[in-house]
Amino acid sequence: MVTTHFRRVYSSFTSHVFDIPPRLLALLLFVILLCVPITRPTPSIQGMLIDTFFIAVLAVSWDLLVGRSGQISLGHALFFGIGAYGTAIIYKFFGLPPWVTIPLAVLIGVSLSLPIGLPCLRVKGPYLALVTMALPLILTPVLAWGPITPITGGEIGIGPLPSLIPTEFWEGLGFGFRPALQMVKLANYYLALALLFFSSIILYKIANSKTGMVLISILDDEIASKACGIDVTKYKLVTFAISALFATLAGATYAHVVTIVNAWFLSLTVSIIPVILTFLGGIGTIYGPLIGAHIYYILDRDILKRVLEPFMTSTQLSYIKPIIFSVIVIILIIKWPRGIARFVTDKLQDLEEARDIEERGKWIWKVYKKKKKA
Amino acid sequence: MHLLEVENLTKRFGGLTAVNNVSFNVDEGEIVGIIGPNGAGKTTLFNLISGFLQPTSGTMKFKEENITGLAPHKIVNKGIARTFQVVRPFRHLPVIANVMVSMKSPRGARKIEWLKTHERKALDLLEDVGLSELMLEPAENVGHGDLKRLEMARALATEPDLLMLDEPFGGLNPLETDFLTKSILRMHLDEPSRGIVIVEHKLYALMKIVQRVIVLHQGEKIAEGKPEEIAKNKRVIEVYMGKGM
Repeated sequence: MVTTHFRRVYSSFTSHVFDIPPRLLALLLFVILLCVPITRPTPSIQGMLIDTFFIAVLAVSWDLLVGRSGQISLGHALFFGIGAYGTAIIYKFFGLPPWVTIPLAVLIGVSLSLPIGLPCLRVKGPYLALVTMALPLILTPVLAWGPITPITGGEIGIGPLPSLIPTEFWEGLGFGFRPALQMVKLANYYLALALLFFSSIILYKIANSKTGMVLISILDDEIASKACGIDVTKYKLVTFAISALFATLAGATYAHVVTIVNAWFLSLTVSIIPVILTFLGGIGTIYGPLIGAHIYYILDRDILKRVLEPFMTSTQLSYIKPIIFSVIVIILIIKWPRGIARFVTDKLQDLEEARDIEERGKWIWKVYKKKKKA
Repeated sequence: MHLLEVENLTKRFGGLTAVNNVSFNVDEGEIVGIIGPNGAGKTTLFNLISGFLQPTSGTMKFKEENITGLAPHKIVNKGIARTFQVVRPFRHLPVIANVMVSMKSPRGARKIEWLKTHERKALDLLEDVGLSELMLEPAENVGHGDLKRLEMARALATEPDLLMLDEPFGGLNPLETDFLTKSILRMHLDEPSRGIVIVEHKLYALMKIVQRVIVLHQGEKIAEGKPEEIAKNKRVIEVYMGKGM
């Protein structure tokens, strides 16, 4: 009796704290994405989705940092850029393959995140946001500074970098020149998808472990969590480092996909887009930014383009589309401030509760009828 | 053996001396009350002991170990837990998770096992303070009286040897006060070696449970003794009621 009681409590507890429906949603998304290159083998759509995957990794890692531990960072591009420049500079001077340079770049990014994080995390709220926003903006002119341009490539950047799996490999397997190029793209697509899959699973696991619970407590009330015996600084730093790890990994890998590294990797756009994606999908959920990223990019580059194309020329399109797109995103965020993904899971949970109530009602009706007979 | 020894503790904020040369001891298994009018420095004293403020001078020893100047979380891990005068729940977490956050997680233990045994422990604690029915409710939906008890359950979850309650009866109605008094006494019986320090305004509720009272006035200790003695102490009555009584 007691054990069944506990089991019921435990299952309802896990479904509250570690919500299950999003797991199915995310899995469905990954299955669809696995099939995309087969069902729609257009290079433009593949390219669009590859971009989406990398920005999604960035957004998910941002969500762990901000949505969970409440450390507002508006400079996530810093680590994206460190990853990209790290792998590019190592390649430039040592000529190592991407499989070696990417882990090295990640190592650099994570070890830099601690000295960067320690002073940054002493300030809070909007001040932290401003400090973090400034960091990549400071780094940009530094990289273009005359004496070090031989290392960083100045404003032109560093390139071309080798692809993750180079054309020579495919040509060695007996592909012609054009099919080999296509295979490079396809390999990029699946490698990026795998990166997204594994990093979001790892981040989701972290966010829903006891560590995640502690992070929410820090977000809610730092003083009270100190009084609970939690080493707040340690947790904040570790979260910062984990977030930096995935951001550098995304940056370094993306550098080998676009095969050129320049100041764009450190730009404000790269810092801000994860923020929009996270709010669009649902902050603090981890799966939210994942879904938000796909909605954002597919809406921007595919759906809107197709809807508007019959009505206007391409120049008109390039001016009008951003306006319409921005308005739609603003409306979505105002309509569902807790995020689209949360809206869906809330609806699913409501359905589940309604079903529970219905079952209970049926049961009561049964007992009532029995009593009437007797 | 003294559990907590406070010696000549002083805290100055600029020109204001909030706590002035206060010394006292708390023994094992003792319930000590700290009273005093508003601004007497009770909460500052609390914050000093729990490490949220650093003393200007003086030392504190816990189990004969110097704890002066340690960070709050380290003091909690040594075995001193505290609650807050104004409730500070983790609003987004369910009530049971609020308690689980402050439990120590043993390194090397498997996570599922940890969750199972600790959930049971957390549930026991919630039952002790009468909150087990609300366990899955997010703390933001829970009423003030219940949050006061949640604060206590959360402090108990750190398995303290010394529990410090900062105005546990503040904002509670007589019924809730009565319930909390009973649960503090029951908790005392369950773990007789645990020391408890209570800071309180409501003398009526406090005097019934404490064994010793320390009176603070303008940062200084003016009296110490059994509740009956304190109630008759001229200086204390003067401080509370004014002269000429």
